[in-house]
Amino acid sequence: MMAAAAETPEAAATGGPTSIQKLLFSNEFGLVVLVLLAFLVFGGMLPGYTSPFSLFAMGRQIGIDTMIGLAMMAVIVTGGLDLSVGAIGVSSAMAFGWLVEHQGLPLALAIPGALVFGGLLGAINGYAVVRSGVHSFIITLASMSIFFGVMIFLTKAEAFRGLPPEVAAFGRLRLATGTSVLLAVSLATCIALSVFYRFTILGRRMLAAGANARAAEVSGVRTGRVFVACHALTGALAAAAGLMLTARTGAAVPSMAGQLGQDWLLPAFLAPVLGGTLLSGGRVAVVGTLLGAAFVNVITSGLLQLRIGEFWIQACLGLMLLAAVLADRGRHLILRRRGLI
Amino acid sequence: MGNRFTRAFDNDWIGPALVSLIAVVVISIFQPSFLSSFNILVLLSAIAVNMLIALGQLVIIAVGQMNLALGSIGGLVAISFAAMMELWHLPAPVAVLGGLAIGVAAGAASGFVIARTGISAFIITLAGLQIFKGINLGITEAQPFYGIPQVVKDFGNLAMAGPIPWLVLPMVLAALGMWALFNRLRIGRFILAIGGNRNAAELSGIDLNATVIWAHALSGLLAAIAGMMLVARLQIGHPAIGEDWLISSFAAPVIGGAVLSGGHVSVAGTFFGVVIIAIITQALVLFAIDPFVVQIVLGGLILWAVGINRLREVRVARARA
Repeated sequence: MMAAAAETPEAAATGGPTSIQKLLFSNEFGLVVLVLLAFLVFGGMLPGYTSPFSLFAMGRQIGIDTMIGLAMMAVIVTGGLDLSVGAIGVSSAMAFGWLVEHQGLPLALAIPGALVFGGLLGAINGYAVVRSGVHSFIITLASMSIFFGVMIFLTKAEAFRGLPPEVAAFGRLRLATGTSVLLAVSLATCIALSVFYRFTILGRRMLAAGANARAAEVSGVRTGRVFVACHALTGALAAAAGLMLTARTGAAVPSMAGQLGQDWLLPAFLAPVLGGTLLSGGRVAVVGTLLGAAFVNVITSGLLQLRIGEFWIQACLGLMLLAAVLADRGRHLILRRRGLI
Repeated sequence: MGNRFTRAFDNDWIGPALVSLIAVVVISIFQPSFLSSFNILVLLSAIAVNMLIALGQLVIIAVGQMNLALGSIGGLVAISFAAMMELWHLPAPVAVLGGLAIGVAAGAASGFVIARTGISAFIITLAGLQIFKGINLGITEAQPFYGIPQVVKDFGNLAMAGPIPWLVLPMVLAALGMWALFNRLRIGRFILAIGGNRNAAELSGIDLNATVIWAHALSGLLAAIAGMMLVARLQIGHPAIGEDWLISSFAAPVIGGAVLSGGHVSVAGTFFGVVIIAIITQALVLFAIDPFVVQIVLGGLILWAVGINRLREVRVARARA
């Protein structure tokens, strides 16, 4: 959206940034440089870093984190957020396990079933936010607690471990180049979402309503419905991430996103924020989210192999989020001062 | 202008207080052991700790922000407090001062970054949550500290008089202090002014940055006290302390009528919010109901309270119109 605005003739006439300059100053370009740099540094330092197994594990985790990040990105578009992504993801994975194990549904039906279930939970959030006018933070704080509590209550906190072998086999599947198929799933989702936000009416309405709800409303967009759709999309993507985790583990485990699903919150915000999604809404960075997830995992897996201790990595990720938002703020200030944006 | 009866209900704390009272009466009819002196002691201990947690969030809600790092600050202080006593053999009062200093420093650091960069408090405190939690786990490697002096254990478990535990003492002091802050002190009024209308507050000459930093430092202080109270009550410095504070820290102020966009909070209402949550949690235990139901009930309570607050806002707006 912003890129399109900058290409107006006025900008060109007043000596605005060229397209090369814009590319060089974009979030995505900066991230690509950082990912490559980190990869080369760790690859040079650690012999095991570029081993096929390490690359496979890294790719798999990037795939899952990207999906979690895309789920949050879809609701950040509205200027809101969804604390319940983890709870929705786990609940959908458990619903998937129940459909397969207890209802004997084939995977071809259970997978869409779980995605729709996640979408429904998201839509409930969206409906509550739109109808009450209360900030999504507090609504999803409550629904996180409710979704997770109901899920634990119904499953008695027991995992579904009798899934068909195809599920675990999918999680282990390597493509011809040795990368995980889960990374390919996320790549495909990124492409689909890019098309969705750029070329479909609903996608464009989501961006318009998120950027300026009143203006969108005046020009005939029913922002309430659009916001509910954003939350539903978040729910479906969270369900997809839950299913990917299930494939990795080979079982649907209630604790796979931590207490109340809170363990997903950091990856959910880290990837989109690193990727340049505006927290105030109206702008998405689909590719940036993928690159953000890649950057996080290139660093994390390097730190893990350096054996600096699993526990300190959590602190490092927090510092990384802090550094990312500070760097973004600094970049904006510099670009604005030079008149480049 | 309504009559005296309806105007009384415009007070934030009357509704939650009535609900607490009714809940006590109903539960004690079905389960007389609810009012046993031991149960009251347990109930008051839980209320005391949770009130500190709720006040820690309340001061941030007042300034119109949110603090996701509250629990991780409390947890970091809890294990540091225990470590200072077990590893360095510091006397308990010195360790308490050290714990308070860590809490204030952690809170002030969050506040400083938020105030100076203008980045949303949500993101900064999410980063803070990870950093403080990571330091906690890095120090403890997820193992608890067991060497807690007897005097600290006694403070967390013995009764001051009758069924009233010593833990009530810090709660009363903190609640009175916060009431005085919001109603009598300049800094408290600045906090509420910023939460109510940021631009107006700035135009009237309030130092936004300093006030936001003060609010977060105070939040860190309250989280630190809550963390150390939990060490006294559990008798160990457990690294998981603080992990489950997030939901209840918002639930109690919201039940107590706090406006989440800031500018309007009630210390008394928050107290009864804490009481309601404690009574419900206890009742579920007494009636042997699945503890996971507590999560569902807490979530439901938040939604219910948000709904009530919305209705009241609409009513007040109509009365003014």
